Amino acid sequence: MRKITLTLALLLTIGFAATAQQAKSVILIYLDGGPAQTEMFDPKPAAGRNYYGNYKGVCKTNVEGIEIGEKLPLLATMADKYSIIRSMTHGSNAHETGHYAMITGDTSGGAIVYPSFGAVISYMKKDTYKGVLPCYISVTSANSRFNEGGFLGNEYKSFDTGGRPESDEYEVEGIVNKFVNKERLNKRMDLLNNFEGSLNKKELDSLRATNMEFIWGESREVFNLNHEADSVRQRYGNSRIGQSCLVARRLVEAGVPFVNVRTTGWDTHKKHFQKMNSMLPALDKAVSALLADLDAKGLLESTIVLLGGEFGRTPKVLWEAPWNGGRAHYGKTFSYMVAGGGFHGGKVVGATDKTGETVVERPVRPCDLIGTIYLLMGIDPYGTLPHVSEGNLPILPSLLEKKSEGLLYEIIDIKKPSHEK
Amino acid sequence: MKKFLFFTLCLLFPAVVAMAAEQCRDEVFLRRAYLTVTGALPTPEECVKFLDSNNPNKREALIDELLDSELALKYTQMRWGDILRIKSEFPSNLWPNGVQAYNRWIYEQLLNNVPYDKMIQKLLLSEGSNFRAAAANFYRGFQKRTPQNFYNNINLLFLGNRNCKDNGYLCFSQIKFKSTKEWKEEIIYLDIHKEKPWQKIVLEDGTVLTPKLNNDWREEYVAWLTSPKNRRFAEVLVNRMWYWIFGKGIVHEPDNWCAENKPSDPQLLADLTDYFLKNKFDMKLLMKKILLSEQFNSKAAPEGFYQPQRLPAEVIVDALASTTGIWNTYHSRVPEPFTYYPPKTRSTHLGDATVSSTELELFGKVSRDVSLESQRNNTITSRQLLYLMNSSELEQRIRKSATLQKIYMQSSNVAQLADAISLLVLSRRSTPQEVKLYENHMKQNNLPLMELAVDIMWMQLNSNEFLYNH
Repeated sequence: MRKITLTLALLLTIGFAATAQQAKSVILIYLDGGPAQTEMFDPKPAAGRNYYGNYKGVCKTNVEGIEIGEKLPLLATMADKYSIIRSMTHGSNAHETGHYAMITGDTSGGAIVYPSFGAVISYMKKDTYKGVLPCYISVTSANSRFNEGGFLGNEYKSFDTGGRPESDEYEVEGIVNKFVNKERLNKRMDLLNNFEGSLNKKELDSLRATNMEFIWGESREVFNLNHEADSVRQRYGNSRIGQSCLVARRLVEAGVPFVNVRTTGWDTHKKHFQKMNSMLPALDKAVSALLADLDAKGLLESTIVLLGGEFGRTPKVLWEAPWNGGRAHYGKTFSYMVAGGGFHGGKVVGATDKTGETVVERPVRPCDLIGTIYLLMGIDPYGTLPHVSEGNLPILPSLLEKKSEGLLYEIIDIKKPSHEK
Repeated sequence: MKKFLFFTLCLLFPAVVAMAAEQCRDEVFLRRAYLTVTGALPTPEECVKFLDSNNPNKREALIDELLDSELALKYTQMRWGDILRIKSEFPSNLWPNGVQAYNRWIYEQLLNNVPYDKMIQKLLLSEGSNFRAAAANFYRGFQKRTPQNFYNNINLLFLGNRNCKDNGYLCFSQIKFKSTKEWKEEIIYLDIHKEKPWQKIVLEDGTVLTPKLNNDWREEYVAWLTSPKNRRFAEVLVNRMWYWIFGKGIVHEPDNWCAENKPSDPQLLADLTDYFLKNKFDMKLLMKKILLSEQFNSKAAPEGFYQPQRLPAEVIVDALASTTGIWNTYHSRVPEPFTYYPPKTRSTHLGDATVSSTELELFGKVSRDVSLESQRNNTITSRQLLYLMNSSELEQRIRKSATLQKIYMQSSNVAQLADAISLLVLSRRSTPQEVKLYENHMKQNNLPLMELAVDIMWMQLNSNEFLYNH
């Protein structure tokens, strides 16, 4: 079976002439826990209180015919900058499997653990990306529900910054250490150098020299938010998500290919509406500021921005105890926002039914979204990745196992090759 | 006569000198033995006790003591957990209750020193509830629950065979699963009324198996597998044990036995396998034999045989905790409800690859996705060194360390301070040259004694001597 899929991959790959790569970077804003599409990009006010809960209205956007949740007024003013996928589906209602599907594009459930698409991009760019900063950075930490290096191994995992970007001093782990200045660290290094024996010394010293450049070089300044005007910082909002998005913009400006901005707290089984009232405005502020900023700097053309989580939430509100107005996990239908890097703006892909419980038009699978991102990043979605004991494996097996509904050619400029379904 | 004496001396003397020269010093042996057997550093008290002992057999006495320790049992349990892929969630999905039961089962086998053949028989012939008949978790810990996949993994684990071509998997085709009313409980049972789906089962070595209808078809296969006549079964464990101790198998990779991958020292493998079989699959005796071997007692390469190895992720993380006295806290995010581990739990004792921390991920904790030993990646990376060099997390731990404060309070000079920190971090006393180095560092930078203590601890935790088992 694997042989057949590989041959198929080889056939399809012939059609992949390195088309002009449109995107240079990806910013994934990951709403960990599963955000409610019902309050964000797929509102159903007509379905009534059992579905729309305590909300009544929607925000009309600046694109005719597109409406989004009433707590996202800022994003509503710029719907021409992004597209909405309303028909994401993978059917998994468990955090770990939903997360795995959404972050690898693999749903095969086989014995092989795939790497996250951040790790894949990090692997694919290892020879061309020459920056001092790591290729794949998480602000402030990656989701550790599974080994996201997958079979590619640890070196392609994300660099987690740690620290609190919203505080006065953003202590990026390993770079900014307020107890130790340059002089003290140099003195410590001298001490170490005089102490150490020969064991693997050459390699260690070379790695340490790289680190010293990293600590005191330009990367330190990239993480220093004090270089931004107060007005800019305020536009993003003084929240974790706001300042994290600002860090992401600075990293992309410095050329980092993949930035994962992860925010938690979206697993709103209880007190859902109260939580949405406080979380959505901060998110609205952060993401709208990021899109506007990237656009103003001319970076949006080359930067893909994604917004979503591992799944959505039940369109039907759970009014009964113990949930008392909560929403549970829902993998059957949910939404993703995509912008920049070659994605068109002002479009809606797919649709759900009146209550939002079923996809009625153009389902989109995780592999379709991730495959499209690979395409825009100049990576062949039908290519292969090396596995230590299994040889070369397809980069997105689901694309070959008929679990795909087709890449998102309707919202990018790249034409669908004639041999693709 | 003169000539004869000269020859004798030439023949004997170099050998004697070489033997003595190749043996590592006591302090090296002490640290190596603790890290290898228990995954933990010796405490300063344990260091002093061993170093100052006049017992001529103190190395053997130490090995005996360590092999019987709780820490050793738990550390070996971790190694089994790695290859049996014990994990609550993806891709094994054993669920925390199953993980606890499975770990407990392995622990009991080790505690009672159950012979290897008996342990594997119990594991492979298991059936029942995943919470109550713990060994049955072996069959639950697979994403793909097919006879072929069970068989591939059994071949990989116990025969080192990555590429089995025979139809022995049919012996595992009666295995079925059913759920119970208890949350996440599952019964592993055999459908013994199943019709025989084969003509003939022929294993790779030509053995023909003829399981009977209405019996457990696994029995005949497992009897063949674990028989002393199946030398490969014993060899794979012997080699795995060697790999666990030295970081490199006599056959390497230890889970890739094939015609092209020959043992580096066939005689050594044969001798150890004979010893293991003669002692009826006694794993503890085998480990003791290897730990008392010339190779384990040799100096580190390039002078001697022993190849230094970077400490495994869990061992580094635990050593950073035990030396500073500030421990990480661990919890399981699998809601059953969330499990919080008791304070000061060692990461080598977590027993569940789903439970992790940023530092464990950084240093390459095994994700337990597959049963290959090569999953453990002990290469050193710039990011790991970056964490040690300049993270505020570690800096704060050193500064807040009550252990270091106490050392500072009890030291009236640099020599005492240096000795105490060195025993804690490097398991040895400091040398006069080192004391001089520290004194100079203090003078040149005009540091108070406590700040010197911080710098010494920082430096030792960053040193190759700390990072490697050597």
